[in-house]
Amino acid sequence: MAHAKEATMKFLKVLGNYLGGIEFSTGYRWQHWIRAISIFALIATGFYIANPYITFGTISPTPTRFLQAELREWHIIFGFAMIGAVLYKTIYFFFFPQAKYERASIKDAFNIKLALQQIGYYLLVSKHPHTKGVYNPLQFWAYTMLYVFFYGIIITGLALYAEVYHNGLGGALYPFAKWVESLFGGLAYVRLWHHIFMWAIIIVVFIHIYMAVYNAVFGKNGGMDAIFSGMKWEKEDH
Amino acid sequence: MLDVQKVKQRIAELRKLPGIAPKSISEILEENGFTRRDFLKWSGALAVTLGLPASFAPVVAEAAEVSDRLPVVWLHLAECTGCSESLLRTDAPTIDDLIFNYINLQYHDTIMAAAGWQAEENYEDALEKFKGRYVLCVEGGVPTKDGGEYLTIGPHAETGLHKLKRTAKDAAAIIAVGTCSSFGGIQAAAPNPTGAKGIHKVLNKQVINVPGCPPSAKNIVGTIVYVILFGQLPAVDNFNRPKFAYGLRIHDLCERRGHFDAGEFVEEFGSEEAMNGFCLYKKGCKGPYTFNNCSRERFNQHTSWPVQAGHGCIGCSEPDFWDSMAPYEEPLANHKFSSVSADATADKVGITILTVAGVAIAAHAAISAIKNPKE
Repeated sequence: MAHAKEATMKFLKVLGNYLGGIEFSTGYRWQHWIRAISIFALIATGFYIANPYITFGTISPTPTRFLQAELREWHIIFGFAMIGAVLYKTIYFFFFPQAKYERASIKDAFNIKLALQQIGYYLLVSKHPHTKGVYNPLQFWAYTMLYVFFYGIIITGLALYAEVYHNGLGGALYPFAKWVESLFGGLAYVRLWHHIFMWAIIIVVFIHIYMAVYNAVFGKNGGMDAIFSGMKWEKEDH
Repeated sequence: MLDVQKVKQRIAELRKLPGIAPKSISEILEENGFTRRDFLKWSGALAVTLGLPASFAPVVAEAAEVSDRLPVVWLHLAECTGCSESLLRTDAPTIDDLIFNYINLQYHDTIMAAAGWQAEENYEDALEKFKGRYVLCVEGGVPTKDGGEYLTIGPHAETGLHKLKRTAKDAAAIIAVGTCSSFGGIQAAAPNPTGAKGIHKVLNKQVINVPGCPPSAKNIVGTIVYVILFGQLPAVDNFNRPKFAYGLRIHDLCERRGHFDAGEFVEEFGSEEAMNGFCLYKKGCKGPYTFNNCSRERFNQHTSWPVQAGHGCIGCSEPDFWDSMAPYEEPLANHKFSSVSADATADKVGITILTVAGVAIAAHAAISAIKNPKE
């Protein structure tokens, strides 16, 4: 078999010893990508619902045109997909045994020295700190906020959903929707906050993508690949 | 459960009480050109509006006939009298208007004959005579700042706040007529200099809110007739609005809803799309956020309503609508948030933050490429 020393491609050579293993389970990777795709689909359809950018000037000859209804349907389908992914990830974080390294980050999150060192790393003045868990303190708090925004957008989204679909799940959620409506002071405010949560998520996602790329470029440990293959590679500490 | 027998008993009891009008309501209706048949049709329609089976139509008619037995005290606080005007100032009086004119209205600033000290006396007498029996209707928000002194009424400069609390104490039922008394209305719009509030905020009794700017005659009379019929308050939603009127959104029963779902929107007033009767969502219709029955009941004897006339709903029966629904002729996506910039919509603020983040990221990436991070 192809030994590293007899690599067929000339740029391949033995590069020290790496530790490898599954960082992201299959379920984890699926929920990440379902969530990612849903977010972008929800942004596109959501902007349409907020202020329809494709409209018709003439009446349809047959009453079978349902553009707004169709885009709203996709918004709802992706919305429920995202809810599923967010719930899975929440349960994963708190209860799954594999998530113990994620949970270990809670301790790191309150370590101010560690947080300052992390800021120093991004300001290019200090080395990347060693963390107990998989998330550094900045990352942990950014993700915590992301989940605040997720649950904010889910709660407001379900309240808006229940007002349109009065039967089935919408009917079951109706008392909850009314509670949310009262909490926000009216359905208009529910709608306004739904939009604000979207922008908060857009901004976090934008920075998340940059940070992932940044760490892939400068970490040189295949970090970006992990969310596709699940494999994490780290240099052995000598 | 709906029990016609109980309702009949209650009406029989009310019938024993003295009425105020020299003529009975059925006589007055006849004088104004309404036949008995018209009246029964109206009763049937009101029964349906209240969510009652059609079999209730005759008892609704009876309730309307004894409505002059139920003493009503009408308080005017910080308001424009638009709610009273909407009921009273019509060229062809509707049955709603007439019923409203001939309920046992003990005190009403706008339409009572008495003035000055005499009016004050009537007021105090009514409170004493009908203690614990009168229905209190309140029009207008209640200013609460600085002890409520932004609204004083009468020769003793009694604050609206004090008068409201005093009158509410012995009321059998309290109905907040209009958005101002329900939620504060325009007086309560930011920055709310007088601390105006909906009356339920200063009372510790249940208040039925009948918001709208103005509410339709149907909803006001419907609520009063409900109290006459059942001797209790109607079922209410999360903002204490009667469910029979405010259970669904304007959007749910809108005649233009088909165009909304089709993606057919009016872009400009006076355009071809507007003539085609397309949806007014992009011209700021707030029907999707507003609970009311305008799209079903309409105004002025079911003649028309804003959306039919070609202007979107402005959400006038929702709490805080002066602030939450603005701008009225643009979708809520263009809601302006108070900030350093006067026209800061969520999208503008979001794009600004995103741009700043983008520039910072580009700079950080460029510097990192030249001076690598420490390993």
